[in-house]
Amino acid sequence: MRLSTLLLFLFLCFDLSAQQELMLQSAPELWHSNATNPAFFPQEKRLVIGLPAYALDAAHSGDLTLNDVYAKRNGIRYIDFSEAINKLDPENTVHFDQRIETVSIGLRLSKKWALQAGHANRFTGAVTYPKDLPALLWNGNAPYIGKTLNIGPKIALFNWNEWSVGAMRSFGNLTIGAKLKFLTGVSALESDENHHKAEIYTNPDIYQLTLNTDYAFNSSSIISAFDTAGYGFRVSLGSLNGKAFTANTGIAYDFGFNWQLTKRIRVSASVLDWKGKINWTENANYYKSNGTYEYEGAVFPGTDIINGGDSLDFDSKIDTLNDIFKFVKTPKEFSTSLPTRYYASFSFMLNARWTFGASFYKQSGAQTHSALGFSARWSPIKWATIAAMYSVDDRSVANIGMQFILKPGPFQLYLMSDNLANVFTPRNTPALNIRAGASLVF
Amino acid sequence: MRVKTVLVFVIAFFFFFCFFSACTREDLEQVEISDHTAEFAFPLFSTDLLMKDLMLNILNDTLSGDTLYINPDNSMTLIYTGDVAEKKATDIFNFLENGLVPIPDSVSTSPIQAPDGVTVTRADIKSGTITLIIYNNTPDTVSGIFEITQMSANGVIFKYPFTVPPTPSTVWISPPIDLSGNILLSGSNILEFKYYAYNKEGVRIEFPSINGGFAPVFVSFQNLTFSYLQGYWGYSSYPLTRDTIEIDLNQTNLDGNVKVKNPKVTMRISNSWGFPTRGKIKYLSFIGKDGTEYKLNSTIFVDDAVDFAFPDFTKDEVGQTKYTYLKMDETNSNIAEIFNAQPTRLVYEVEGISNANLDPNVIGFLTDSSTIKLSVGVELLLEGSADNFQTDQTLDLDFGTYSALDTTEIEAVEFKLVTENQTAISAAVQIFFLDENENKVDSLFVGGPQFIMNAAPVNAQGIVSGVTRKENFIPMTVARFERVRTTKKAVLQAAFTTADGGQIPVKLLATDQVVIKMGLKVKTRL
Repeated sequence: MRLSTLLLFLFLCFDLSAQQELMLQSAPELWHSNATNPAFFPQEKRLVIGLPAYALDAAHSGDLTLNDVYAKRNGIRYIDFSEAINKLDPENTVHFDQRIETVSIGLRLSKKWALQAGHANRFTGAVTYPKDLPALLWNGNAPYIGKTLNIGPKIALFNWNEWSVGAMRSFGNLTIGAKLKFLTGVSALESDENHHKAEIYTNPDIYQLTLNTDYAFNSSSIISAFDTAGYGFRVSLGSLNGKAFTANTGIAYDFGFNWQLTKRIRVSASVLDWKGKINWTENANYYKSNGTYEYEGAVFPGTDIINGGDSLDFDSKIDTLNDIFKFVKTPKEFSTSLPTRYYASFSFMLNARWTFGASFYKQSGAQTHSALGFSARWSPIKWATIAAMYSVDDRSVANIGMQFILKPGPFQLYLMSDNLANVFTPRNTPALNIRAGASLVF
Repeated sequence: MRVKTVLVFVIAFFFFFCFFSACTREDLEQVEISDHTAEFAFPLFSTDLLMKDLMLNILNDTLSGDTLYINPDNSMTLIYTGDVAEKKATDIFNFLENGLVPIPDSVSTSPIQAPDGVTVTRADIKSGTITLIIYNNTPDTVSGIFEITQMSANGVIFKYPFTVPPTPSTVWISPPIDLSGNILLSGSNILEFKYYAYNKEGVRIEFPSINGGFAPVFVSFQNLTFSYLQGYWGYSSYPLTRDTIEIDLNQTNLDGNVKVKNPKVTMRISNSWGFPTRGKIKYLSFIGKDGTEYKLNSTIFVDDAVDFAFPDFTKDEVGQTKYTYLKMDETNSNIAEIFNAQPTRLVYEVEGISNANLDPNVIGFLTDSSTIKLSVGVELLLEGSADNFQTDQTLDLDFGTYSALDTTEIEAVEFKLVTENQTAISAAVQIFFLDENENKVDSLFVGGPQFIMNAAPVNAQGIVSGVTRKENFIPMTVARFERVRTTKKAVLQAAFTTADGGQIPVKLLATDQVVIKMGLKVKTRL
């Protein structure tokens, strides 16, 4: 991974994915809303085929936007991190969730029973990094002579497949649903909470380098090697091509209910990824760098200089920088827990065209997150719906979401976002939330 | 109205879809990382130059016998020494080692074969033999005793019995007779030989002379060595040594002035000869770079001579060694003046004279281990001053990884040269970089040497009292860096000047050191 790629990863990863899906939760008539509540099934439909869907929720802390990164010169768009680095906080967090639903199927067996199955690929992660890290990578160490730079990020990245089967049962107006998800981990990278210190100090004397590390992480199939040769810090990545089945396995459960209290009022709630856990055994290693490494350059004995009897050979000396971090790789299996997510929603159908509702979302685990939204849905014609939502979340109290749904014939097409402004001006915002997908319902 | 609503809705939907698609494609696929400049800083090298190592290097360049003496106060004394001249007594005073002594009569005398002016009164024989040779031209077998009156062992006079058959056509030769342990005592350098011969009737006879008057009896001495000689040593002169001492401190071919404070020439004589010996200085001069002779004059010499201490027989000092130290410094000689001319060598010649005063009452001795040794040294306490004293050193270079760098992305480099000087010497330095054919490719400094090191402060005694740090920033264009990093040799030229511009003498201590280190900043486009 080149330096620039690593920086892009830090700054732009919020272009990758999404998970908070309040707008989807407010549209239970869509088959893909089943991803937020296993009790959702399009009304009066017997067979549902879920076509690919894509969901992304990502954010960067602070006010950093893509416009801080992009520059356009001579018609060519460039990425320039100089301004972006200046806007960073001392500590910054990037989080993202991406869900790609490849295919799914639902079959209503009777008025009471329905079955479902599907596959999805998910990629979730959070990176908390100090400002010093991109500054060092982008500017080099010379501007920071005499300063101790903290460059150790806290990382949690997981990519896995979900193979799900589920069932739902109706009890009058109450429908409950459950889903068993077999998880196959593709790749993971998780820094050790107790060991995430990495400091670099450039001595003003003659720029001697001191690296003080107590940094460790677990990795499965992401990091294959460290190569710190030359002036950069190059990380060799394993293949990120998702494999459908791996030796990294786990189980998770989804539960939910959908209760039509009256003709106009509906409430629902769900728990997702409950007890979700993946045991990483494939290419699972523990990398640790611990110690203080001082690089003082070549040390020539004074007698060599005086006597002129030896060669001043810089070659073998500079090579020591190659192993300066001295990551020790130890094969070690590890496990990660999925964040448990909770949804609850309420809706009131004013008339055939207008429906109002409220949705709540909470995520527990290492990265907690919560959001509350109020929506208004308008269906001017039977096969089209447009909706808007005002929501507050941990980042902002002024999110306006939009939803576009077309249902011509057996098709369900939709685009939605919990924050519409971010979708249309992604370069002016530090966060992005979007979902799109299609289904066939019969 | 209904159609219009649907139309607006569909347009909005596609607008939303298309905008997002276009935006994503542009943002993620048609961008490049902007060229920018990053600057990296690395340490290059450090080295620690000890004054002691530097001076040892100067010594090792030439004479193996030179030494650097670290004084208790860590000051250093350079000692240049000449070859040690050693004269054994037996090299000068050989006598009676081998010889054939005729004995014409039954009582005969023969002088001891001693060097001129030497009268031996006692000689202890360490080893050697004698052989008795007799020509018996009588018809009878003759028996008898051979005696050397002045030779005895444990108080018993040497006597040797013999029986000689008639030898009309040949001679009778005794087996070798071991004389070890015998002592010769003579008051007049004369040995007396006697034989008592009897015929078969018991009548004492003398062996008749051989035709022509030759003696019928001989004594042959073989390989006679002495462990002790005692007697009178008269006036005798002999060469002791002639040698040259190279003073390589002043033998560089470079410019500069070095002034050494209080240089000394020392002579050390160890003498176990048991009689008075005088050293006669036949030649003692320094030679300058241009061959000019500077005669070393000193008040310690009287008529260019000095008497060496010696073990005194009358004081029962046999076997002892006496030492004579002679020191010529600025208090008793013109050496300080000579050293201002930075001489390059000392040439000296010394002659030995025994009993120079011709004292007839002097009783002396020699043992088989008696020697006289003379060593001459030039001692330079490293305390002085230097003004633009230049030296150079050629070093092999290998920039290794740096030589393979892709410099097309490099915008500029800057070396940082740091000196931490704990010596009273400042230095101006230039480094020339040479290619494989030793052609000068470039230099570290543009426009000549630069002072990279300031002298450390010194106290009133000229001793360093602190450390002076100097930082030198040396920017270099990429084109020059491109040339330099591929070079294979470097010639380091340094010109040293002591504190206060070389005006005051400073003392160099063995613990004095200079730390030289270098770092590198590289501005590179990423």
